[in-house]
Amino acid sequence: MGTWWRGTALVGTWWRGTALVAERGLVETVRSKSFKILAVLLLLLSVAAVTVPQMIGGGSTTYTLATAGRAPAGMVAVLDAAGRSADFTVRYESRKDGDAVRRTVRDGDATAGLAGGTLYTSARDVGTFPVLVAQAAVALETSRQLSEAGLSPQQISELQSVRPPRQVVVGQADNAGRAAAGFAVGVVLYMALLFAGSAIANTVAMEKSTRISEVLLAVLRPSQMIVGTVVAVGTVTTGLLLVLAAPLAVAVQITDEIGLPAVAGGDLGLAVAWFVLGFMLFAFLYAAAAALVNKVTEVGSAIMPVTITIIVGYLLAIMVVVPDPSSGWSAAASIFPFTAPMAMPIRWASGQVPWWQLVLALALTAATAVLMVSVASAIYRRALVITGRRVRLREVTGRRAAS
Amino acid sequence: MGLEIHDVAHSFADRRALDGVSFDVAPGVITGLLGPNGAGKTTLLRILLAVVAPDRGEVHFDGRPVDDEDRRRWGYMPQERGLYPGMAAGGQVVHFGRLHGLSRRDATARAHALLEELGLGDRWGERTDKLSGGMQQRLQLAAALVHDPRVIVLDEPFAGLDPVAVASLSETLRERARNGCTVLFSSHQLDLVQDLCEDIAMVDHGRTVLLGNVANLRASSGRRQLRLHVEAPNRDWLLAHPDITVVSDEADDLRLAIPPGIEPLEVLDAARAAGRVVDFGLDLPTLSQLFLSAADRTPGLAGVR
Repeated sequence: MGTWWRGTALVGTWWRGTALVAERGLVETVRSKSFKILAVLLLLLSVAAVTVPQMIGGGSTTYTLATAGRAPAGMVAVLDAAGRSADFTVRYESRKDGDAVRRTVRDGDATAGLAGGTLYTSARDVGTFPVLVAQAAVALETSRQLSEAGLSPQQISELQSVRPPRQVVVGQADNAGRAAAGFAVGVVLYMALLFAGSAIANTVAMEKSTRISEVLLAVLRPSQMIVGTVVAVGTVTTGLLLVLAAPLAVAVQITDEIGLPAVAGGDLGLAVAWFVLGFMLFAFLYAAAAALVNKVTEVGSAIMPVTITIIVGYLLAIMVVVPDPSSGWSAAASIFPFTAPMAMPIRWASGQVPWWQLVLALALTAATAVLMVSVASAIYRRALVITGRRVRLREVTGRRAAS
Repeated sequence: MGLEIHDVAHSFADRRALDGVSFDVAPGVITGLLGPNGAGKTTLLRILLAVVAPDRGEVHFDGRPVDDEDRRRWGYMPQERGLYPGMAAGGQVVHFGRLHGLSRRDATARAHALLEELGLGDRWGERTDKLSGGMQQRLQLAAALVHDPRVIVLDEPFAGLDPVAVASLSETLRERARNGCTVLFSSHQLDLVQDLCEDIAMVDHGRTVLLGNVANLRASSGRRQLRLHVEAPNRDWLLAHPDITVVSDEADDLRLAIPPGIEPLEVLDAARAAGRVVDFGLDLPTLSQLFLSAADRTPGLAGVR
């Protein structure tokens, strides 16, 4: 009973101190000018990314059809009907002869041109519009000939309602979306860590170089300082990601013109889990690396090895896992804790990963992240009191130093 | 009771910083941990605060080993300034108060009172890095005292302070000691803190070389000097005291080294009998003189061991 109570009290004390560290870091960051500028910049960027293509696109597409003389009424009816169902409008340009039609298309003033028995199209990619024009022309000519052959309009209409078999895309239709989610985890994790990693490293190095760490170490455990700092920076990073995502989410809500890859809720949850685990793992590594520096200006070179590890993990994910998700190397990269956060989400999207491998990779990454807290704490405690020079890793990891 | 330091030793990879240091710090008595640079003072204070783990030795408070919970109620001011440069002065003190276990309300009230006491009352909202060096020093002190610690440990608190700041910091520490706090501070400027310390522990090369009450140590050392301005025709009256050596004798100004066992007042009486004594004084050795004589002896002792 007594032990249990004391244990709970210790955990409570631990969290209280950690929360204070996190609160201070959060308040100071959010109040800082650079954070406000960054947030506003990201918001503007994100709003622009969502709205500018819409404004330039001007809503629906417009095609132009040039014809010799006025466009036949039947053709106009068929194309306008197609436009209503496929969300495009057609403008009609009449020219006096085939040669004029040809020039109009060549000069880019019309998407396609129809004169006599010839359909003119430009070399540019204009999508399926010329095909629609050709189909309409064929349908009109067919019905004219059928009419001449003595069929009633009723019969012609029935004949034209014959449709080719419905085309259904089978196979793993959701794979594209899942792979995109996997890639997104990697890219977002990479970007978030580049930002958060240097923020964490700068905080740790600032606390060390100003000797605040010494006052803190007298009151707190290193694990509280590290976890508190990582929680603060992680919260700020999440906030910035939400700022970045908010305009997109709003746009998806109010219009239905932006297509997001359809991803199952489970995959999304998994993506978030990988992001959180990967973030913690590397964040603690950044904290440990920064504890080795003497001056804040040395942070860049001190955290280089961690950044390189992330980049290598990401490259491995792209170069090894994407081409052949089922190879042994892919399996290894997706389970090894330092590459798993990048490799496993991509590999999981291939649908060829046994459940136990996913669970193993998650467990290993989580365990390594926890281990990193204690490794970073040990480095932190020993390196923080060695000042005046850059600390070598060997000094703070050897047995002698452990005393 | 108070703070007891038992046989504390610590080595870095390349050198021995502390080699079995033991002494007590009594509550209500300002105790100075003195010694030259590199003597091991900072390492010892860091061990007291558990910033560094000792190779061996123990620290007790009120008769039992100190734990983290005890230390959270101590106040510590490290040698170099440990303040968040971008935080406001008041917020900084409140933050440290909360880290030491105060509620936000209590910490805010205490911080206001303390900044007022230390003459920083009007600087509450100012950024720390905009304050002058002396103000940052006082702010650092406020951060160490905000939670009314029973034990106050300060590493070189007087380094770089002007005389006014030294006097005001001394007064703050005296007041805390009068209220029953256990106060331990380190300094390498021995003569600067001579009048502040009541007890001292002198360390050199990781060992204690001198311990005890400053007044007793100075009075009982064999290095007292009697300063006399005596209008006497000659120095014949000195012949009655063969153990006394003349340190200097210029015109009528005489400086005599009084060995232990000789009462300085008797020498003064002899001088008065010989001529008119215009001026006189008994000079006790300074702390640096005490240190030098104590430290000189230690290599010999180390050899015997």
